[in-house]
Amino acid sequence: MSLGDELRYLRAFHGGGNLMEIEDEIGLKPGTLRYMEQRYRRVGEDDEVLAKIATYYNVPLEKLQWHRKWYRKALSAYLQQAVESGTTAHFELRTDETLTGRVRWWDLGAFGLEPGGGEPFTVVQRHAVLNWEGATEGDNS
Amino acid sequence: MPEDLRTIRKQKKMSVNQLASRTGISIATLVQYEKGELEIPPADLHRLAKALYVGDWDINPRSSPPPRQEQPAKPPRPKKPPSERKPPSKPLPARDSQIAHLLTLAARFDIDQAALEAEIGKPLDELTQKEARHWNGHFMRRNAEEKPPKKSIDRKRAYLPEGVDGFELAYLQEQQEFSVPLYFTLFDGQTFEGTVVGFSPYQITIRESGGDEVTLNKLAIAYYCKGGGEA
Repeated sequence: MSLGDELRYLRAFHGGGNLMEIEDEIGLKPGTLRYMEQRYRRVGEDDEVLAKIATYYNVPLEKLQWHRKWYRKALSAYLQQAVESGTTAHFELRTDETLTGRVRWWDLGAFGLEPGGGEPFTVVQRHAVLNWEGATEGDNS
Repeated sequence: MPEDLRTIRKQKKMSVNQLASRTGISIATLVQYEKGELEIPPADLHRLAKALYVGDWDINPRSSPPPRQEQPAKPPRPKKPPSERKPPSKPLPARDSQIAHLLTLAARFDIDQAALEAEIGKPLDELTQKEARHWNGHFMRRNAEEKPPKKSIDRKRAYLPEGVDGFELAYLQEQQEFSVPLYFTLFDGQTFEGTVVGFSPYQITIRESGGDEVTLNKLAIAYYCKGGGEA
């Protein structure tokens, strides 16, 4: 899960507050958190910024630093490759579940998974994906 | 007796272009040599002589200017028969875009259409293009001079990545159209089942079997599938 997705997840768990209000409360420059949540590549390199966010969401700084190593684009690349090849993809979710199936489509917010074996077509939210098969640290292809 | 470069070149049936490529001297320079505008320096003279298979002394370093060719006199233009003067054309009515622009400009000074028409002295739909141009210019100048405060624009919120994007939008529309029950699993473990009654970029509203409507925040959803099953 990319840092952006992780931050969105944390925000959702803290009541889904308004980004600008949170930025104001933490003491971040306007737009910082928004960029971190939305950008596909690495944003938020500053440990000081991460520390403020970690304190606000009450999570260890190391956890956010770990997520920083992942890119949203890496998941996009995996999804695209899965769509093109038609191979079975594996996703580890935040809910401690693992979903397996063929990716039929993907967009910025979600992807459509056909699990096979009579299971219904599932729309998975990208921010729910914690890990995926083939994910390697620093993969930003 | 040395001869002009042009004469020798013509005798050798060579074009300026060919001579330029043989000698490495530019066409423009050759033309100047031939017109006598420039004296041919010894180095170029040697190269030219070599290319033209003549001795250096056969080429006149300063060509005489070419004789001016007299242009044949143009036949006089036939005089047009005196035509009747056209009656002055009717002024064109102002374009819609001009009127719209005028209203926008006037609105910056809190002038509505009625006040604007009063100021102009005629209804807007009777304005000519010329008049509209004049009044637009008037308000543009006034705008530049007075700089009225800009009204805040009601900006649309930017789409966040968790918002409903292209494929998901199409999928939800299809499920809504056919009233397909969907089964939602949230991050906190809660589950909801119902048919989609509407959705916005960040929320999906479903109607449960009991008739209750529930609005789910997209950010809180982990995944959803067609009802009656679990992923």
